[in-house]
Amino acid sequence: MAVSTFKRGLRLNTRKHATEGFPVELAPLPKQVVIPINQHFGAPNKSLVNVGDKVKRGQRIAEGAAPGPMTVPVHASISGIVKKIENRLQSNNTEGPCIIIEAEEGVSDETDFMPPLDPFACTKEEALQRIRDAGITGMGGAGFPTHVKLSPPPNKPIDVIIADGAECEPYLTTDEALMTEKPDLLIKGLAIVMKLTGVGKAIIGMEDNKAKLIPMLEQELRLGGYGGDISLGLCRTLYPQGSEKLLIKALMGREVPSGGLPMDAGCIVSNVGSLVAIAEAFTLGKPLIDRDLTVSGGACKLPKNIRAPIGTILTDLPPQFMDIDYSKLRKVLFGGPMMGTAVPTLNIPIQKNTSGIILMTEEETWLDAEGPCLRCGRCIRNCSCKLSPVIMNNAIEAGDLDEAVKVGLMDCFECGACTYVCPARIKLTQRFRVGKQRLRLKVQAAQAAQTKAQTAAAPAAPASNAKS
Amino acid sequence: MSDTKAEAPLLLLSSSPHIASPVGGRVIMAWVLAAIAPAAIFGVALFGIPALLNIVVSIAAAEFAEFAFRKITKQELRNGDLSAAVTGLLLALIIPPGLPLWMTALGSIFAIVVAKEFFGGLGANVFNPALIGRAFLLMSFPAAATTWQNPSFFGAVDAVGAATPLRIIKSGGSLSVLGDSYGAIVKTLFLGTHAGSIGESSIVLILLGFAVLLLKKIIDWRAPVVMTATVFAFSFLLGRDPLAAILSGGVVFGAVFMATDYVSAPVTATGKLIFGFGAGLITVLIRQWGNYPEGVSYGILIMNAATPFLNRLIQKKYGWVQPRKPAAADAAKAGAK
Ligand code: SF4
Ligand code: SF4
Repeated sequence: MAVSTFKRGLRLNTRKHATEGFPVELAPLPKQVVIPINQHFGAPNKSLVNVGDKVKRGQRIAEGAAPGPMTVPVHASISGIVKKIENRLQSNNTEGPCIIIEAEEGVSDETDFMPPLDPFACTKEEALQRIRDAGITGMGGAGFPTHVKLSPPPNKPIDVIIADGAECEPYLTTDEALMTEKPDLLIKGLAIVMKLTGVGKAIIGMEDNKAKLIPMLEQELRLGGYGGDISLGLCRTLYPQGSEKLLIKALMGREVPSGGLPMDAGCIVSNVGSLVAIAEAFTLGKPLIDRDLTVSGGACKLPKNIRAPIGTILTDLPPQFMDIDYSKLRKVLFGGPMMGTAVPTLNIPIQKNTSGIILMTEEETWLDAEGPCLRCGRCIRNCSCKLSPVIMNNAIEAGDLDEAVKVGLMDCFECGACTYVCPARIKLTQRFRVGKQRLRLKVQAAQAAQTKAQTAAAPAAPASNAKS
Repeated sequence: MSDTKAEAPLLLLSSSPHIASPVGGRVIMAWVLAAIAPAAIFGVALFGIPALLNIVVSIAAAEFAEFAFRKITKQELRNGDLSAAVTGLLLALIIPPGLPLWMTALGSIFAIVVAKEFFGGLGANVFNPALIGRAFLLMSFPAAATTWQNPSFFGAVDAVGAATPLRIIKSGGSLSVLGDSYGAIVKTLFLGTHAGSIGESSIVLILLGFAVLLLKKIIDWRAPVVMTATVFAFSFLLGRDPLAAILSGGVVFGAVFMATDYVSAPVTATGKLIFGFGAGLITVLIRQWGNYPEGVSYGILIMNAATPFLNRLIQKKYGWVQPRKPAAADAAKAGAK
């Protein structure tokens, strides 16, 4: 099979060997789960339960405060009693409201799932509603609600659905495990999305280090019989192949226009995990309450792929299942080492978008101090978005945000490739994050000033005319 | 498992990415030194002990100058990064083998202090320090810096006064002193067994270094290839022997080791192409109409001055869309009204 790719990018040491080919192990039931109320990108949820309430696995426990399209509900992932609702640290390093459920003897196997629904018989609206009700969000990234992604505006015609199974981050192997163990559900999920969006073509994209899955997936495709044109797309093992923009470039040869979304290039890209979740939401009526993830890293004595209820805290799992070498542990990552977040404590729950927890030793990470820029141009050579990181960074340092934007600040998707290759160890990606933040504040300030000027100019304007 | 365990480790926090390439600044400089080494060793074999001493003195003076300057100005010491050693070695290889050692030391110190540290040290200099050091020597000691000797493997250094191939061409002489047939002349030029600077004569060994640097992805092919091709093409247009033009006078050495200098050459791909072209063109022009037989140093130095401008020539980023023509935008605006 032809291997497609994009230009530039990194050939990383994938460090996947620790868990590659491992089956997904079901985690023992934790005694408690901490479920963040807000796990999606969009308007905040509010709790539907109170302390002391009895909840069942699968029951809706938080929902959008105001009915809007950009919210998805959150469900109880174990059966038990609501012990507390309080602010806790989450995997993005901010505190947010969480519902803490303690497992109760005897009721732990009770579930409250939705009735199964035939995706090929129901209407498009019913299907979208089901995906929303199941609380499905993008499982790899920012937690964008999947039902929103699947209903692009009519002026953005879509001609291909891409299943993102690239899994380009080092260490992580759950997507591979998922594709190995649930190919039928993956393909069914794709078929549902194709039916729902009326798109006739789909590609399952993955890096060529997963080429061994091809015969099995092809067999499944033959057996599936869902109609439509579903094919496999192999891409070179190259970081950041798993980012939507570059997967589209590699598989379709198209570029998402600057500032646009995949739908602007006629594509919908969905993580394989989300597709399996969609299939399960219809066949089992099961909401997104379990998460497959890789737990790996040098300080993890038993690296493995696990399936755990959302809200599980790693240290609540018994040591014979999850053995951590605390003496070596120096860094805990939620997500992969290129784009994941370092967190200050292990006491953080697994969320819908937690693709892995990496327990790193000091040798695995890097601690070098920054040196002066050598102007070697490596950052430019390796930026897959063809940006010029060193020039962007100089502009930011000089305080010239406009220049930084001109050379691509807002196009940077923070993949970290430039920082990875910088021999001077300059924290480019971090600077770009800060630069974007400063720009946001600047724009806000400008808007506020404008609004103020307008109100001052028209003091008698009726409140109903004010733009929100 | 005790409950305090989770709190026990002191966890590091930092922004992603959390892993880094094993290739740091020092590794790069070490590879550059290694790539230059064959040409340097050949130079010592060819010109003997004086060449060796020049190399050692130049490197030592460069490292010392950096150390002393940063110490006096109370800046963090950076000798470990090996960049001064690279400057020292490069300077030694582009001067005559028999240059008095004190002059070499002076040139090396000038290169580091004036061309590099005055601008802010590593990464901040505008001009290639080694070339500035050479230019300084050429201006301060014009006689000594243009006095060459004939090579003799491991032998004592000849009496001064040998002519380099470029000087021969410049004065309208015939290259036949280098060999009796055209093939033999080219072979002599290629192998570097003729009078010249310590390290820039053996094209074969310089190309070996080039291959190493390309293979290790330390330099980009653009500037050196374009520069050499430009010298070849324009020499041909001006009616010179294009092959002799690129094989003599340090074109290849300059293209491989100087036009690829990280700091003083452009970082962008387009910038590198133009840099190579400009440096090649200026080299030919100086050779043709200048006072010096040799234009490589000045070709590169002059282009160094253009580097900040060339760095503005950035590539079209991913997802770049043609900006709408102002007229069309105005029309759209008018339509919206
Ligand atoms: S990779 Fe680092 S040292 Fe090289 S140009 Fe970019 S910022 Fe400078
Ligand atoms: S972090 Fe941004 S600038 Fe750096 S390589 Fe990735 S996209 Fe390019």
